[in-house]
Amino acid sequence: MKEFFKKPIFPIITASVSLVLAIGIMVAAGVSFVKCWDVPMPIEGPNVTEVKMLSEWYDGLKDGPGDTPVYVLKGEGDGGAMLILGGTHGNEPSGYMSAVTFIETAIIENGTVYVIPYTNISSMTHNDPGEGNLQYFTLQTKSGERIFRFGSRATNPIHQWPDPDVYTHHPSGQQLSGSETRNINRAYPGREDGTLTEQIAFGIAELIRTEDVGITFDLHEASPEYPVINATVAHQDAMTIASEGCINLLLSGIDMALEQSPTNFHGLTHRELGDYTDTMAILMETANASQGRLRGGTSEEQVLGGVDDYYLYSESIGMLFVPWDENHHPIEERCGRHLQGIYEYTMAYNNAYPDKIVTYSGVPSYQELFLDADKEDLGGTQLGKFLR
Amino acid sequence: MVLTIIYRLIIALVIALVGWNLFTEKKFTAQLTAAMVLIPLVLRALMIK
Repeated sequence: MKEFFKKPIFPIITASVSLVLAIGIMVAAGVSFVKCWDVPMPIEGPNVTEVKMLSEWYDGLKDGPGDTPVYVLKGEGDGGAMLILGGTHGNEPSGYMSAVTFIETAIIENGTVYVIPYTNISSMTHNDPGEGNLQYFTLQTKSGERIFRFGSRATNPIHQWPDPDVYTHHPSGQQLSGSETRNINRAYPGREDGTLTEQIAFGIAELIRTEDVGITFDLHEASPEYPVINATVAHQDAMTIASEGCINLLLSGIDMALEQSPTNFHGLTHRELGDYTDTMAILMETANASQGRLRGGTSEEQVLGGVDDYYLYSESIGMLFVPWDENHHPIEERCGRHLQGIYEYTMAYNNAYPDKIVTYSGVPSYQELFLDADKEDLGGTQLGKFLR
Repeated sequence: MVLTIIYRLIIALVIALVGWNLFTEKKFTAQLTAAMVLIPLVLRALMIK
């Protein structure tokens, strides 16, 4: 036996075995990564009149990795236009799940609503390295089990590469860390000849300008140790509407902070869409345990249920900017906040602009999604009941 | 675009060198290490990850 290991052929055999093993891992990993490129889309709800692509507003995106579906929901009555941006960041599931819920349930009475479930669709096609995030999560819906992607904060680097050392925002000249070059919420108002992320941002600004969108919602989540959480940030032109809506949210039991968009922090929807278009730009944030730095291991229970015992401890030592108890922050609470927020701010918009109203029904409220739910249904089951 | 092509050519060169090392190295653990190094390189060369 000893003689065999000394033969010159033995290293060739072990090298071949190592290579075969590596090829096996390559194929398994490669198939897994490639599957992530196929992002599951919403099922068209009762009032989806058209599904367009963002390239209809900026053809530079056509057939590329940034071209994303735009669901058009047109009401029978005249009115204004509203835009809902979900999936600005692919690792903030209540943002895109609220948009998906709106698409699948809303019945528009007046005006037109444009919903982009995955604003930066490239960010949905990969995960952040080193985060140990899920690739997918599942929900039981009316049509059975459905799979949704859990993505990344930024554009997939196979679509936009390389990152500069320093990202210089156009047109302000503001400098940020290089990786922010792939963050679409630092890329507005975008530009035609810019990076893929800037081109997507430009396409969205073009949609707003072309369709005369009166009010725009950008739906986000933040880690529980981030100060801007359970909050609305509005452009100064939208502050009157946002203040009225925020008071109504507070009266309906939703604790919502309101901040005016800083004038010196560039690239964000609530700053640039307000500055470079005529829309009322409003951004909302909810508490996402799976994004935080103090979290435990990531799991579906954490993503959908918001369950994380490390945050219970963090709360006890005053590390968080959002109240945390054993009820945690399930997806129903987070989507409920977004959907109720959209409703109240839209009502306030309608009061201010009666000639451009947008009215709708059928979308689950905070009460229906969260407050009326059985405790054991929180963490995905209750949300799934409203999805097709 | 040109930068990406150059980048992928560099990756292809490194893959060839690591592959050469895999079959000239006598020690099994070093061979296994070289094989593992190939995994991310090939996935990047194919622009999968």
